[in-house]
Amino acid sequence: MFRLLMQELKFRGNAIIGWGLGLCFFPLVYISIYPSVADEMAGLADLEIYQAMGVSLGNFSDWVGSILLIFLPLVAAIYAIINGTGTLAGEEEDGRLEMIVTLPLPRWKIVAAKALALSIASFFIILVVAVVSLIVLQGMEGQFEAGFGGMELLSAVLFTWPLVFATGMIAMFLATFCSSRRFASIISAAILVVGYFGSNLSASTAALEPFEPFFLFTYLDASGQAVIDGQATGDVLVLLGTGLVAFALAVFFFQRRKLTVGAWPWQRAKVEA
Amino acid sequence: MTNNVIETKDLTVYYGKHRGIIDVNLTVEKGEVFGFLGPNGAGKTTTQRVLLDVFPPSSGRASVFGLDCQAEGVELRSRIGYLPGELALYSNMKASEFFKMYEYLRGENGSKDYWRELADRLDLDTSRKIRQFSRGNKQKVGVVAAFMSRADLLVLDEPTGGLDPLVQKTVLEMVREAKADGRTIFFSSHILSEVQAVCDRVGIIRDGRLVATQRVEDLFAQRMNRMSLIFDGAPSASTFDFDGVTELDRSEQSIMLEVRENLPLVLEAAAKHNVRDIETHNISLEEIFLAYYSKENGAENV
Repeated sequence: MFRLLMQELKFRGNAIIGWGLGLCFFPLVYISIYPSVADEMAGLADLEIYQAMGVSLGNFSDWVGSILLIFLPLVAAIYAIINGTGTLAGEEEDGRLEMIVTLPLPRWKIVAAKALALSIASFFIILVVAVVSLIVLQGMEGQFEAGFGGMELLSAVLFTWPLVFATGMIAMFLATFCSSRRFASIISAAILVVGYFGSNLSASTAALEPFEPFFLFTYLDASGQAVIDGQATGDVLVLLGTGLVAFALAVFFFQRRKLTVGAWPWQRAKVEA
Repeated sequence: MTNNVIETKDLTVYYGKHRGIIDVNLTVEKGEVFGFLGPNGAGKTTTQRVLLDVFPPSSGRASVFGLDCQAEGVELRSRIGYLPGELALYSNMKASEFFKMYEYLRGENGSKDYWRELADRLDLDTSRKIRQFSRGNKQKVGVVAAFMSRADLLVLDEPTGGLDPLVQKTVLEMVREAKADGRTIFFSSHILSEVQAVCDRVGIIRDGRLVATQRVEDLFAQRMNRMSLIFDGAPSASTFDFDGVTELDRSEQSIMLEVRENLPLVLEAAAKHNVRDIETHNISLEEIFLAYYSKENGAENV
């Protein structure tokens, strides 16, 4: 399994660099422009549309929470969905999976290696952003009152990873369950988007309140206070637990899957049973 | 102790309502080259995929080296070199990188020189990216990957597909060499000449059912002669009414016969009717094979 893991990480090397550098856009731009927009943003703090999006811009920690702790995991989760659905369902659709499943490896190890590779890759992508955030913040020292230190920022960004992990594992589970990459991607994206808006809207809409525990973003505190104090341990555990349950389901369904590798059953000659 | 490397018992695969294979009973002995014949969609690839535990059978069982294909898939796959029929490769890799990766993932060391040797033999440039390869070169990559581990059993799904005749010949030589090393080869194809050239036994699969298994030499021993007789005026229909003789066609001056036995009687009868010319030709394995497919009901043997 270690060998497959190393190979899978090698495949994801470019993604780590590409997505990591791409997502550095957030800290590079949004932290560096903060001093010039701080006063203007403070005046927009109470807009309902921002509340619906979970955005609060009253001070720097709120600004960082709103930008980095919402949009970073949201975009990183898209990577996790693309990768989580592409890694088994995608390989099955284009036929490459046959070379992998005919190796002398048990199937659970194949899923585990790919899940681990996805988790490590997504962690490194976020780590790159966290380090760049730290560097940008250090570089702007003295220009404004941040209200928290570099290590708090680093930690706040890194703790967005459990949500990305949970999303990736859900995508992987859906890919092993329904075998269609497209279908798995659509459902995973729907879970992500509904989870994001649902979590924010349920805070202000009584009708949605009962559903709040089912939205992934409920377990990611994007407030300025969370940047300073960190995420609640319980929330982190819920996200990690969700990811692990989804991983276990992925293993279970992949173990039982009749892989189609190439032609779909309905493309084969039909005979009466 | 059984000498069978592959054994299937009532092996059946359905994809929902769609037929894969039905009640396939098959044995492949150690050290033999077994040709698995059938047109596209007959069930050749399905059978091979069950052997490698790509998917489980709907019913029945399959074993390789005495190991159950489902329960002990990992162990048996370590002893199989596999060439898929629908080969899909990592196109961004160089061929050399692919072989190194494949060797690494199989947990093997020491075949480094061997894959190079095989690639040279097939005239494959391993420094190029796989996406730059033609279909034939991609097939060469698959062939090298299957042979490079020197596995005890080679499962080759149409190994010469897309290859030029010269390389086809080399691949068939590699199959013969593997057999000479005592390895077993399960070889699916719909190209009869190559099956005829390398296989010890053939199994013929039709609509998911194994309709016959025979030694190639026995198939030839049973082969028929087809004979055209030219006369000044063709004799009556009853002239060649002998056991094992079938009249296939007739015109005013000629008769075409299929002669399975009683050849001397046919010649004697022909001589009595002023035969002017006789043309004969042997029925090829291809024609025997096609005969299975022209039969409306499944036959057990030729």
